[in-house]
Amino acid sequence: MSDADSDEEVLVQYGTPLEPYEEDDVPTKRKYQQPADQYAVDAHGRRRFHGAFTGGFSAGFGNTVGTPEGWTPTTFKSSRAEKAQFSGQRPEDFMDEEDRGEFGIAPQVLQTQNDFSGQKRQRRPQYHDGPIPGEPVLQQLVRAVHETAAVRMLRAMGWREGQGTGERLSSKGKKKAREQHKVYGCYVPPELRQNQEPQDQQDEEEDSSDSEFDFDTLFAPDDYEPYLLSRKNDRFGLGYSGLSRHSVLGNLVGEYGSDAGSSRSHLVMKDKGRKVNIRGQAFGVGAFEADDDDIYATEDMSHYDFTIGGPAAKPERKAVQNKSGNVLPGFVKASKPLPPVPSYPAPALPRDYTPAVAGARRTRFEPTAHKERDQGLGRHELTAKARGELLGEETPLPTPVTVTPTNIQPNTQTDKPKDPITSLLGRNVNFTSEKDKELNYISIKDSGKEITKVFKPFVGNPAKQARYERYCEDKTALERDGDMDKLSEWEREREIVEFEQAAKLYKPLTGLMGDRFTHAAQPDDALNPLSAVSKSVNHGLATPQQLQAAQQGLYGVTTRVVTDWRPDGLVCKRFNVPEIGGRSEQKKEDKPKVSYSIFSYLESSVHDKDSFAKEQGNFSGSKSIPTAPKTQPNDKTNTPIEATSSKDDTIIQATTSKENNLQTSGFTKRLTVAEIFLKESEQNKNQGAEVTETINKFDKMDLYKSIFLSDSEEEEDLTKKNEVSDFIETPKNVERNTSPPRGIFANIDFDELNAWRRTDNTKKEETKKPENTILEDKQEKSEPVEEMYGPKIPENLQNRLKPEVKTQTSIEIGSSSSEDSWVDANELKSKKKKKKSKKHKSKHKKKSKSKKKDK
Amino acid sequence: MTELTTLATFQCKQQVIRAVRFNVDGTYCLTCGADKKIKLWNPQRQLLLKTYGGHANEVLDAAGSCDSSQIISCSSDKSVILWDVTTGQPLRRYRGHASSVTCIKFNEESTMAVSGSVDNTVAFWDVMSRRQEPVQVLKDAKDTITSIQVTDHEVLTTSVDCHVRLYDLRMGKMTSDFIGHIVTFGSLTRDGQCYILSCADSTVKLFDKDSGEILNTFTGHESKDYLLENAVNEKDSHIICGSATVIIRQRIVL
Repeated sequence: MSDADSDEEVLVQYGTPLEPYEEDDVPTKRKYQQPADQYAVDAHGRRRFHGAFTGGFSAGFGNTVGTPEGWTPTTFKSSRAEKAQFSGQRPEDFMDEEDRGEFGIAPQVLQTQNDFSGQKRQRRPQYHDGPIPGEPVLQQLVRAVHETAAVRMLRAMGWREGQGTGERLSSKGKKKAREQHKVYGCYVPPELRQNQEPQDQQDEEEDSSDSEFDFDTLFAPDDYEPYLLSRKNDRFGLGYSGLSRHSVLGNLVGEYGSDAGSSRSHLVMKDKGRKVNIRGQAFGVGAFEADDDDIYATEDMSHYDFTIGGPAAKPERKAVQNKSGNVLPGFVKASKPLPPVPSYPAPALPRDYTPAVAGARRTRFEPTAHKERDQGLGRHELTAKARGELLGEETPLPTPVTVTPTNIQPNTQTDKPKDPITSLLGRNVNFTSEKDKELNYISIKDSGKEITKVFKPFVGNPAKQARYERYCEDKTALERDGDMDKLSEWEREREIVEFEQAAKLYKPLTGLMGDRFTHAAQPDDALNPLSAVSKSVNHGLATPQQLQAAQQGLYGVTTRVVTDWRPDGLVCKRFNVPEIGGRSEQKKEDKPKVSYSIFSYLESSVHDKDSFAKEQGNFSGSKSIPTAPKTQPNDKTNTPIEATSSKDDTIIQATTSKENNLQTSGFTKRLTVAEIFLKESEQNKNQGAEVTETINKFDKMDLYKSIFLSDSEEEEDLTKKNEVSDFIETPKNVERNTSPPRGIFANIDFDELNAWRRTDNTKKEETKKPENTILEDKQEKSEPVEEMYGPKIPENLQNRLKPEVKTQTSIEIGSSSSEDSWVDANELKSKKKKKKSKKHKSKHKKKSKSKKKDK
Repeated sequence: MTELTTLATFQCKQQVIRAVRFNVDGTYCLTCGADKKIKLWNPQRQLLLKTYGGHANEVLDAAGSCDSSQIISCSSDKSVILWDVTTGQPLRRYRGHASSVTCIKFNEESTMAVSGSVDNTVAFWDVMSRRQEPVQVLKDAKDTITSIQVTDHEVLTTSVDCHVRLYDLRMGKMTSDFIGHIVTFGSLTRDGQCYILSCADSTVKLFDKDSGEILNTFTGHESKDYLLENAVNEKDSHIICGSATVIIRQRIVL
């Protein structure tokens, strides 16, 4: 609990937790809605609709016209002093304020009329046929300008044309952003940026004059300027724009000038108060610069320094940029030339190379990695000579010997083929490898066995594959196989199951297809397509006798075959025919009902009854098996094992734990029945004739049980009582979980509870049926037992009577024939008892508590 | 031998007519054409009532349901289509067969359709539910199924493998009779005691259903390679069968 508390402290919860699902609840996909979400509210959070119809209109204060009175009726009043004013009602009087809002039914916002908004697709205007046909000139001149929705949204958020979007910036930040904006493509290398930074600072100083007064005002960011690619229309190198021959006054000279209006002077004089800064293109290499050894430079006016006053600090810096003259602005020249891209020629493939997927097969069920080839295709790649050699014809005949493909038997192909083919063709043509002579195709004739050779599900493990093949040939071969001895028994069983599945998996295809194809009656004469096709009659599965009988017209018994056929259940239903053999629903009932209880997951290993019983049998059953099975009359080979094992268990466990008497009664009966049955059958070992009698007897007992044993209360008490006296004899509940109690059971002292219960029972108990009590020593019991009916024996008498009772009581429970149903009944009973025992427990708790209090 | 007279002739314009079927009470008539269409006619007035298009290949057989509200048809496009008569729309399309579906029948209550195919199988289709797979597939035949007859508790199939198979749903038995010739069509007499089998050896054979013995053989027509059908009149007195050469033949049974 402390952990949980600390968790709650640490964790922060957001939102409303969903209601936890019930154990057997099917979670729905419906979104969880709190009741509050289901009301419509207005802008002020007031509930919008209320009244008799919760979802309908409602009039009243809060969401009507807005007056506290709501709908107050007015009376017509008119006096001489006050003339009645005729007031017409408008629809707006009956509207809520929301209706007049932006999203209401009558929004009162200034907005462009539809015709001018340009939002809708313009209907094709119809022009009336006046004296001037066609579109009016005025309409051509004046066009409705429309905005996109995005622009309108931006407007609503305070944006104006010319501004950028985003947060407002201080002028400094804006400048910085502007610098960043200028980087397109590559990022400026750091050393270059460092060079630029002092310059920026200087710029700032320069600009400080105008930013002094608005250092704390925020500006909208700059508009995004799309990087427009301008068409290249000169023959200079990339990124180089030659010195345009502007005159200082800005007029173009010579060939560059095309339009006087568009030209600007490259020398711009800016008066920023202190000094005149003249900027211009290629302005930097001064006339007095030492490193101006550009011999190809043409003399131009722009070469001259026009700066008035001030030191020539800047030119120096710009010289850095200019040194790398033929580098794009923003780029630096690489110090090392790029290594040339190496080009390697494709490797020469070996002659016998066949392309295949790299690596072996990943799973054993993956189809073979070998390249699948059509039989026909491979055939065409062989020359006649190769085919001849394949078939063992040493000397090719002068006349072209044709080998019909049907004659190529797979077996003869694989006999000695490899060398001639590979020598002739230089590569693997058709058949995958030499070692395993497997086929890529399935010949129709020999399906079945051959298939196992084609599909190799266990290629990864050759020994296993070998075993699998042996298994396919003979299903029983594995049992007496020496190879299997290396494996443990468990492994062997596992493998057999695996083989079965694999065989099942790989067979059905042929089975399916086999039904749909028949053998060719004639050889497929590939050479002569014009040969007449003779009609052949498919006689299906007809035997020669049938054929003969049909020929002689002796229809009847010989030609008729009657087989069992089971129509599907649904077919029977649709044909209104009773299903043969009744409905097959027993299978479903046999399935254990799965209970999704927490308790079934507490002990994961034991929650399956079968597995548990099996394990128990493994532990203890081995000793007693050899004596048992032969003596069993018929189908009851399972019960003795269970019984003996449980007996062993009791001996082991009885000494250690006493808490087993809560739920045992049902199983007690079942097991003792089995034991007695075992005893009896041992007795009958020599007297084979009596076996049937005992079976009959058991059947009777079964009937008896079904009548009497169903009322469980008394039995429970009885068994409890019995356990008090000699609980060593009671076999333990096989299903019982012997692990120490945990969870909510951890702190319950079962021993104490049981001890209390025993004493309590002995006091309370009055009813006893001796025929249900369990015999103390079944080992010595030899006589056929009798039932005892009649009233219950008082308890004090019981003790005295005990020795007699022991010898006389009969436990002829447990019939062999209806074991299954009996088990079910037991389970049912045990379930009931569990419930009861739970109730008991709670009672006991209370009582024990009260006892403690008393103390 | 009574003379048969032509009552009406109508132009279907469907190229080859693969099957002509009356509905349950004979007031309507279905023609299955090689033009992939089924046409519904009023045979009395030679009126075309509806055309059902949707098959991708020749329609080989069709059958009307017992309430004349549905049509089921099969085609060499391997599919079986259930049609709504009034709207003309396909309600279901079953694609369980591996080859052309040659014949199809409804059961008595039109709750199930039985189709036979060139893939040697007979499939039961549940028309009531939305199930797309066949409820049951009979794979006893070793060659093409040529015809199917369905009674209240029996299914009679004939096959190119020279067998006639009778599936009895009540008994859970399949009776297979070897005929010795390709059986192109099989029908049952009205009393349900005999098969009438059209065989490829230009005969019509009459078999006893219970014993499997031949009762009579009718010859005189020529079947050639055609899949000729036969039928019996309502009194079980005459058999009518098709012929490759002449006209429709009429045979006296007893």
